[in-house]
Amino acid sequence: MIALSVAAVLAVFIVYTSIAGAGTPEIGPSTVGQHVGEDVLLVGTVVGHVGGNAHAGGMRFLLKDDHGAAVARTRVLYSGSVPDLFRTGRQIVVEGTLRNGTFVAKPGSLVTKCPSKYTPAKSNA
Amino acid sequence: MALLGRAALLLSFGLVVYALVGGSLAAWKRRRRLALSAQNALVASFVTTLVAAIVLFIALGRRDLSFVYVAQHTSHSLPLGYALSAFWGGQEGSLLLWLLVLTGYASLAVLLNRRSRELIAWTVPVLGGIAVFFAMMLCFVSSPFATAAAPADGAGMDPSLQNPYMLAHPPMLYLGYVGLTIPFAFAMGALLARRTDERWIVATRRWTLAAWTFLGVGQLLGAHWAYVEIGWGGYYAWDPVENAALMPWLAATAFLHSVMIQEKRGMLKIWNVTLVSLAFCLSIFGTFLTRSGVINSIHSFSQSSLGGWFLGFLALVIVFSVALIYLRLPLLRSKTKLESLVSREATFLYNNLLLVALALTILWGVVYPLLTQAVNGETRSVSKPYYDFFLHSFGLPLLLLMGIGPLVAWRRASLRALGKTFAVPAAVSLVTGIVLLALGFGSSTPGLLAYTFSAFVAASIALEFIRGRRATGSLSRLVARNRRRYGGYIVHAAIVLLAIGIAGSSAYQTIREQSLKPGQSMRAAGYTLTYVSLGTRQLQNAQQTSAVIDVSRGGSHVTTLHPGKSWFPVEQSSSNDVSIYHDPRSLGDVYTIADGISKNGTLDLKVLVKPLVNLVWAAGFVFVFGSLVAMWPDAVEQRKLADRYAAVPV
Repeated sequence: MIALSVAAVLAVFIVYTSIAGAGTPEIGPSTVGQHVGEDVLLVGTVVGHVGGNAHAGGMRFLLKDDHGAAVARTRVLYSGSVPDLFRTGRQIVVEGTLRNGTFVAKPGSLVTKCPSKYTPAKSNA
Repeated sequence: MALLGRAALLLSFGLVVYALVGGSLAAWKRRRRLALSAQNALVASFVTTLVAAIVLFIALGRRDLSFVYVAQHTSHSLPLGYALSAFWGGQEGSLLLWLLVLTGYASLAVLLNRRSRELIAWTVPVLGGIAVFFAMMLCFVSSPFATAAAPADGAGMDPSLQNPYMLAHPPMLYLGYVGLTIPFAFAMGALLARRTDERWIVATRRWTLAAWTFLGVGQLLGAHWAYVEIGWGGYYAWDPVENAALMPWLAATAFLHSVMIQEKRGMLKIWNVTLVSLAFCLSIFGTFLTRSGVINSIHSFSQSSLGGWFLGFLALVIVFSVALIYLRLPLLRSKTKLESLVSREATFLYNNLLLVALALTILWGVVYPLLTQAVNGETRSVSKPYYDFFLHSFGLPLLLLMGIGPLVAWRRASLRALGKTFAVPAAVSLVTGIVLLALGFGSSTPGLLAYTFSAFVAASIALEFIRGRRATGSLSRLVARNRRRYGGYIVHAAIVLLAIGIAGSSAYQTIREQSLKPGQSMRAAGYTLTYVSLGTRQLQNAQQTSAVIDVSRGGSHVTTLHPGKSWFPVEQSSSNDVSIYHDPRSLGDVYTIADGISKNGTLDLKVLVKPLVNLVWAAGFVFVFGSLVAMWPDAVEQRKLADRYAAVPV
C-alpha cells in the first residue's frame, strides 16, 4: 500500500513536470513557418547542393519533408561537428530557430539518422 | 541449404506449439507423461533452431549471396568476422538469435528444475507460448532464408558496425533481454499453478542475475563502442534505443533487490510478480521500439512491418500477466507487514521505488513524442535536460541509499545504532565534500554530490569488509561463506566507480575546437596539441586519411595521436577514426576527432579532455566479478534450501 501510494504520487509528479516542461516540438519544413522564433527540432531530408564550411562561416543546405509531397524547402545554416553520414539524401534532425526565412541551427546539434544500419540495400540505393 | 534452414525453423515452430498446447493440457489435466513430452519438445526445439542458426552462419561465412539476407548485409570484401556478425546485424537474423537463445535458456531451465514438477508444469507452456511468437515471425513474416538470384556483390556492412565491439555487444544484449523471459515464465508458471511461495524466485535467482549481468555488460560494451567508434566523444546519449536497454535493466535491478525481501520476510509478493512482468514487458517493448521505427532515433531502424506484430504480442503479454496477477491476488497477500520505516525492508522499498520511478520516467520520455502526437497532433520530444533532471533527482538518492541500505537492521533499526554505524562513512564523505569544494569542484552541484555520495558508499562498503574480516579472520573465507552478500557489495563498488566515472567525464569535461594548419597548436585542459602532418593509407576495404598530432603537457612530450577519417567505397560512406590517449595519472582521456579535413591540409580538430572516464570501463570488470561471486553455487545455501523445501509437500 505504501508502495502504491508513493508510486502514485511519483506518477503525478512525472506527468506534471513533463507537461509543464513541454519538450521541444519536432516538425518538418512544411510546418516550420508556424514556429518562427521558437526553439524546435527540424526533421527532414537533405536536398540539393551542400555549400559553405561548417567550421568557418557555417554550412548551408536545404531540407524537405521526409514523407509526403510537400514542396516546402527550408534553408538551414549550421556550424559545428558534421556527422559521418551527413550528405544529400540523408534524413537528419537539427535543433534551432527559424529567423528571417533561415533556420539557424544550434552549433553541434546536427544528428543524421543512419537508415543503412539495418537495411543497407534499400537505403544506399 | 536455405531449404534446410526453412525446414528446421518450421520444425521448431511445430515443437514449440506442441510445448504450448500439450504442456497446457498436461498441466491442466495433471498428465505426467504428456508434461514430460512437452518438456522434451522444448529441448528439441533448441536443437532444430540451432540447425537453422548453423545454416545461416555457414551462408554468411561463404558469402552465399543467393540468400537475400546475406546479400543485404555482407559483401565479398567484408572480413570473415564481420560477415559472421551480420547474423545479428539485420532483423531476420536478430529474430533467429532471439529464438535460439530463448529455446536454449528454456531447455536448460527446464532440465535443471525437472524435480519441481508442479512449478515446471505450467512454466513449460508459458515458455512455449513466447517461443511460438518468435518462431511464427521467423517462419511466416520475416524469414532469414529467403532466396533470390545472387547479385554480383552484396550491399556490405555499415562501416560503424565494422568494429570488434559489434561482435560482442548485440549478443550480450540478447542474452540479457531474452534471459528475463525465464524469471517471467517461472513467475507466471507459479501463479498458474497457484504456488505463490518463493520457490519460483529461488529457482530463477541465478537466471535473473545472469540476464541482468549480460544486459549490464551489453550496455557497457555498446557505450564503449559508441565512445571509440561513433566519434562524438560521449558514450550515452539518452537515445530511445539506448533507453530501451536501460529500462529493463533498471526494472531487473529493482527485482533483484525486492526478491530478497520476499525470501527473508515473505513480503512484497504482488510487487515481485509485477516487477518481473514489467521487466519482461520492457524487454519486448525495447524490441518493438528498435523494430518499428515509430520513434525518431539516431539508430533509425527501417520502418518494418514487424512493429505491429510486436505491439500485438506486447499487448497480449500485458493483458495475460495483469489478469493472472489479479486473479491470484488473494493468494499473494503477504502475512507480514512493514514494521518500521527505518529498517532494511524499508530501504529496499525506497530503492525499488526510485529504480522503478527512474525506469518509468525514462519510458515516459521515450513515448512522449507518440503521446503528444496522439493528443494534439504535434510531435514534441524531450531531450537530455529532461533525462538529466530525473537521473539527478532519482539516481543520486539511489547512490546514497546504496551506502545506507545494507547496514540497516532487518525489521526495525534504532536511530542510535544507525548513528554509530554511519559515523565513519558520514565523516569520510563530509571531508571529501569539503576538500573537493576547496579544489573548485563546486562548478557542478550534481558532480559534487555524486563524488561525495560515492565516498560515503565506498566507506560503508570498506567498513563492512573490515568488520566481516575481523569476525571470520580471512577475507576469502568471509566472501566464500556469504557469496550473495559480498558479491552484492562488490557490485555496489562497481556502481560507485561508474558514478564517479560518469560524473567526472560529463560534469567536469573540457571541449575545445579549432581549425589548424600544419605546425599550429591548440590547448585543452593543460595539454598542448600540435598538428604535425597528414597522411593516407589503403586498408583492406577502406581508404584512411589521418593526421599526426603531437600531445605535450608542461613542455614535455606525452604521446602522438592519429585522428582521421576512413572512406569505404563499397558502402559509399565515411567514418571518423578517433584517436584517444588514456592518461594513467588522471585515469582520464584526451579524445581527438578530425572533424573536417580540407584539401589544402587544414584540419578542424575537436579535443575533449574527459577526467576519470576510464573508471566507467573499469566498473564493468568489477561488476562482472561481483556478479560472478554472487552467482557462484554455494553448497551451504543449497543444503539450507533443500531442507526448507523438503518440509513442503510438492
